[in-house]
Amino acid sequence: MSDLNFEYGLLLPEFILVGSAAVVLMLDAFRADLRISRNLLPAITVLGALIAGVASLLYLDRDPTDFAQLIAVDHYTTFFRILFIATLVAIVLGSYEFVNRNITHQGEFYALLLASTIGAIYMAAARELLTAYISIELLSFSLYVGVSLAKNDTRSGEAGLKYVLLGGVASAMLLYGLSIIYGTTGSTTYEGIAAALEDGVVGTPAFLLGLAFLVGGLGFKASAVPFHMWTPDAYEGAPLPITAYISATSKAATFALMLALFGIALDAAKADWQWMLASLAVATMVVGNLIAIQQTNIKRLLAYSSIGQVGFMLMAITTVSDASGSALLLHLAGYLITNLAVFIAVIAFYNRTGSEEIEDFRGLAETQPYLALVITTALFSLSGMPLLAGFVTKFVLFQAAAEEGFLWLATVAVIMSTVSLYYYLKVIRQMYVAEPADGDSRWRLSPIAYLTTGVLFLGIFLVGLWATPIFEAADGASAMLFG
Amino acid sequence: MGMEHVWLLPAIPAVLFALMGLFNGLVPRRGDFIVILGMAVVVVLSFLVLLDFQGSFRDGHFAPGDSNLYSFSWVEIDTGVVDDLLLIEFSTFVDGITVLMLAVVSIVTLMVMIYSVGYMRGEVRYGWYFAVLSGFGAAMLMLVVSGNLLLLYLSWEAVGLASYLLIGFYWERQTAAEAAKKAFITTRIGDVGLLIGIILLWRGAGSFDIQEIIHFAEGGGYGETYLTVTMLMLFAGAAGKSAQFPFHVWLPDAMEGPTPVSALIHAATMVVAGVYLVARMMPVFDVALVARDVVLYIGLTTAALGATLGLVTSDIKRVLAYSTVSQLGFMFVALGVGSVTAAMFHLFTHAFFKSLLFLGSGSVIHATEEQVVETLGGLRRKMPATTTLFVIGSLALAGIVPLAGFWSKDEILLVLQDGAGFGPFVILAATAALTAIYTTRLVLLTFFGEPKDQAAYDHAHESPAVMILPMALLALLAVIAGFVALDPVGRALGFTGGIGEVVFTQGHEGHAFKLDATIAIGATVSALAGIVLGFIYWSGTAERAVRARQWSPEFHDLLVNRYYIDHLYQFTIDRVVLGLATVVAYFDRWVVNETGVDGSAQGISFAGYRLKFFQTGRIPNYALAMAIGVIVLALVAVGRT
Amino acid sequence: MAGDIPMENFLILSAILFGIGFYGVLARRSAILILVAVELMLAAVTINMVAFAAYLDPERFTGVIFAIFVITVAAAEVGLALGIVLRLFRDRQTAMVDEASDLKW
Repeated sequence: MSDLNFEYGLLLPEFILVGSAAVVLMLDAFRADLRISRNLLPAITVLGALIAGVASLLYLDRDPTDFAQLIAVDHYTTFFRILFIATLVAIVLGSYEFVNRNITHQGEFYALLLASTIGAIYMAAARELLTAYISIELLSFSLYVGVSLAKNDTRSGEAGLKYVLLGGVASAMLLYGLSIIYGTTGSTTYEGIAAALEDGVVGTPAFLLGLAFLVGGLGFKASAVPFHMWTPDAYEGAPLPITAYISATSKAATFALMLALFGIALDAAKADWQWMLASLAVATMVVGNLIAIQQTNIKRLLAYSSIGQVGFMLMAITTVSDASGSALLLHLAGYLITNLAVFIAVIAFYNRTGSEEIEDFRGLAETQPYLALVITTALFSLSGMPLLAGFVTKFVLFQAAAEEGFLWLATVAVIMSTVSLYYYLKVIRQMYVAEPADGDSRWRLSPIAYLTTGVLFLGIFLVGLWATPIFEAADGASAMLFG
Repeated sequence: MGMEHVWLLPAIPAVLFALMGLFNGLVPRRGDFIVILGMAVVVVLSFLVLLDFQGSFRDGHFAPGDSNLYSFSWVEIDTGVVDDLLLIEFSTFVDGITVLMLAVVSIVTLMVMIYSVGYMRGEVRYGWYFAVLSGFGAAMLMLVVSGNLLLLYLSWEAVGLASYLLIGFYWERQTAAEAAKKAFITTRIGDVGLLIGIILLWRGAGSFDIQEIIHFAEGGGYGETYLTVTMLMLFAGAAGKSAQFPFHVWLPDAMEGPTPVSALIHAATMVVAGVYLVARMMPVFDVALVARDVVLYIGLTTAALGATLGLVTSDIKRVLAYSTVSQLGFMFVALGVGSVTAAMFHLFTHAFFKSLLFLGSGSVIHATEEQVVETLGGLRRKMPATTTLFVIGSLALAGIVPLAGFWSKDEILLVLQDGAGFGPFVILAATAALTAIYTTRLVLLTFFGEPKDQAAYDHAHESPAVMILPMALLALLAVIAGFVALDPVGRALGFTGGIGEVVFTQGHEGHAFKLDATIAIGATVSALAGIVLGFIYWSGTAERAVRARQWSPEFHDLLVNRYYIDHLYQFTIDRVVLGLATVVAYFDRWVVNETGVDGSAQGISFAGYRLKFFQTGRIPNYALAMAIGVIVLALVAVGRT
Repeated sequence: MAGDIPMENFLILSAILFGIGFYGVLARRSAILILVAVELMLAAVTINMVAFAAYLDPERFTGVIFAIFVITVAAAEVGLALGIVLRLFRDRQTAMVDEASDLKW
């Protein structure tokens, strides 16, 4: 035991995030006495996140190492640290106006975002089951509260209740699975499990039972059909920035965890779980994309569309390999950029109109052409239009799946991508075809909203046209798991 | 400027698209002249490429059948840590059909741009229109120079996106937006096939490079069934883009866009992308003969279907749209019997006369703000120049000697007779005659006879020179373009073997242009008969009789005496031809369009409607779904062992 | 270790407890009772963990540490969930989950 590495410096970025969360909470508690501007809270959050981001870069040149065999600190971790911290910054910048207007407990809001980012990072970095579980709960608990934070909206409480109760059931399922896997393999570290599986635990009924519960529990976090039902309700009820955060960080973190868990620990048992994930993947992309067509609320539409996207990502876990690992990381990066672009644009739209109905996007091309352009581009990217991020990343993803012998799965994915275009075009049509409502005139965005959406907008094209740098980063990160 | 710089051709308009899309407000005239200038440079460059191609051709640097591939790494994604799995390289490729396409695309785009200066004057988003036009040109040029299926697919989608923007240009009009959406989705359904086909080809050959895939296929690398399925997938993409049955439904609806856009997209460029794709992959189709036969019969069906529908449509642009559908069918027929030469030749001539016809119809619409033939008529007095040019285009379409359409249509009939036998030949020959009939009808109802709507007639005026001039240039090409097939012309251009020697793809021999006297005469006679038939039916008999009497009493007598023949004609056309056409139109609207295309969309939508009710909003139900999910997983997992 | 009781007995107890808990989640309509049922499921996990630790992994006791964390997290979860139930109760004067079904389809 003494050879464990307890170098706390490896966790520096997370210490910075925790520190920022504490400062934000304290400042919020004494805000009335200190007479500080409420814009200070997001400023500190962004600042802390940026410092943490810079701190993460320090590990780029270091050899891969780990903290007490619990948390890996390597390119894979760095990749997700940067990704999640960048997401946090984008969401805080994109939503501070929204928060000022709609959220009463602002300190908690920012502190929860910071805390959940730590959870997300450790989900990616964990190399041991208990650490992985605690990270999942850190992220989930923050989001349970986050979803219920919109005090002026009764939907928020209902969504929070559904999320926390079903989340509890899912946690119990996950834990039950983990306990059986621990019982059959005798270890909780990924490496230990992998070693035990080599010795022939694979295929025993107890182990299979554990796998089924594990897949169910993780399926809930990832919103895979049929464990997805909380998703649309939580998305609709949550305050918009939290919705954006769930759809971005929470999803990506779950897949980061699954990739490491299935890639390292359970790789030897591939034959036992591959069909589970493949069937979840098919069900998820079909159900998500089909129900999305029927939606009239933009948050709900995006919820179902994100379920559809989850199906594509599950495909990469199904075919887990070095190639599909880097493909998945690239796809996650592209998906985060695109998805954030949509959500931040929708938040800006909500700030102006107070509406989430797709119907109310009518004539946006007249009243706010820039925003309409951003939303259109991002939706096209989500549907996988060439020249945009969505095409390159999906193509690499589908190709990797096809290469691993899952051509039929890739074919379903291509078809479902086309179906998705149908409902994205519904939104685009409202913006470009329908007349603006009476009395709507041109309106302006705040400079920060311009900046955030602008950067993300360019990012969509950057990934679409010049994916090489991000792909190399993804490839380097994925090599940590499979190299 | 040689073939290795061919990437410049798409690059120039692409840069202009980005610049003018963003900053058209900052330059005078919203930058239309900049965009036009850029495209003019591209036209010049495309001729330089032609010269270079022809120079190395003559110097014997490569024998006919050789390729000319230049690759440069634009985006390189190489996951090859373990095995280099996903190497994506972008390359350009120049051969005969590329050169031909470059000339067609750049010239027609330039003409349409110049014409648009007049047609689009005063429109809102004038600058945006020109920028997107430039972007469209860039995508289309990129499509034809790409030597790599992935780059081809990228440009293919970019073309679709640009055309979506152009068809939906009048987005305030509900129908325009719907049409844009329909065109986009219908072609995208085909594109799914294309993408799957590309992935299947790649899986076998391990490369996206077209030449490598061709070598691989010719070496028998793909299994027979595998390749057939793959090529059918690819053809689905081509059929979607080129509006072949059953995907043809989007093209007539797409006429909602501005008319110059139709002239560009729906006559000369985007819709022929499918023809180009199949021609480019012809060596692979030669290995998958079943797939090639499907191409033939789909082409034949579409040719006949389009021509029949053209007979009973009254919107001038939709008639032209159906005509395009039909003519594209001709090209696929040629491809179906393996003749790239005939198909590309027809593509070449068709581009000029059909865009001329579209621009002519645009001139009419611009002048009268009417586009239903029943409300037009007699326009020849007000618009002599447009009338003359439109008639030239129509004669070329009908296939009258010596206009361009004659040569290429004749060539298709010839290769069809050689390749597929008598039955298909007869159908296509009859379709050619039908072409003459509906063309005549269109010309007569629009420009001749008496005005049917006085207001529209009074409103009419000749279009400005900026519109007439590009039409005149296209008319010139519509007259002379067919001559390139003749041996003396071919030699003068530097190709001893005429069109067949220029237009080939690697590993697929072209053949010299042949003129079969029987077919030539037969085709001409049937075209003329079609025109006469159209004349008798659609020009008012009474008026004709009166005029004929003034001109020659004897002839009038003849006419009167032969009235029973008129009746026979009348019966034939009324009951048989038009009756058939009406039935076909009904089938097209209700079965193909409503049930097939709209129905599948509604089916998907309905599935979503049913599924959504599982989402009841109640926690116990959600937990039940989770429980069932995990229990099924566990049971199946244990049961499998 | 652990006397003569075979490990299977603990595992069966745990499975039964988990099943009862899951049934409770499906059958109860009050948010509080569902929460109690979830706690049963978590208790089942704890039994599993401790049993495995005691029988299979006696030197390292990873399972026991795991169990302690599960108990802690479960306690936190109850606190959090009760807060949200209260919130719902203030909005609608009910803690019945059936009546909180505005969000659907």
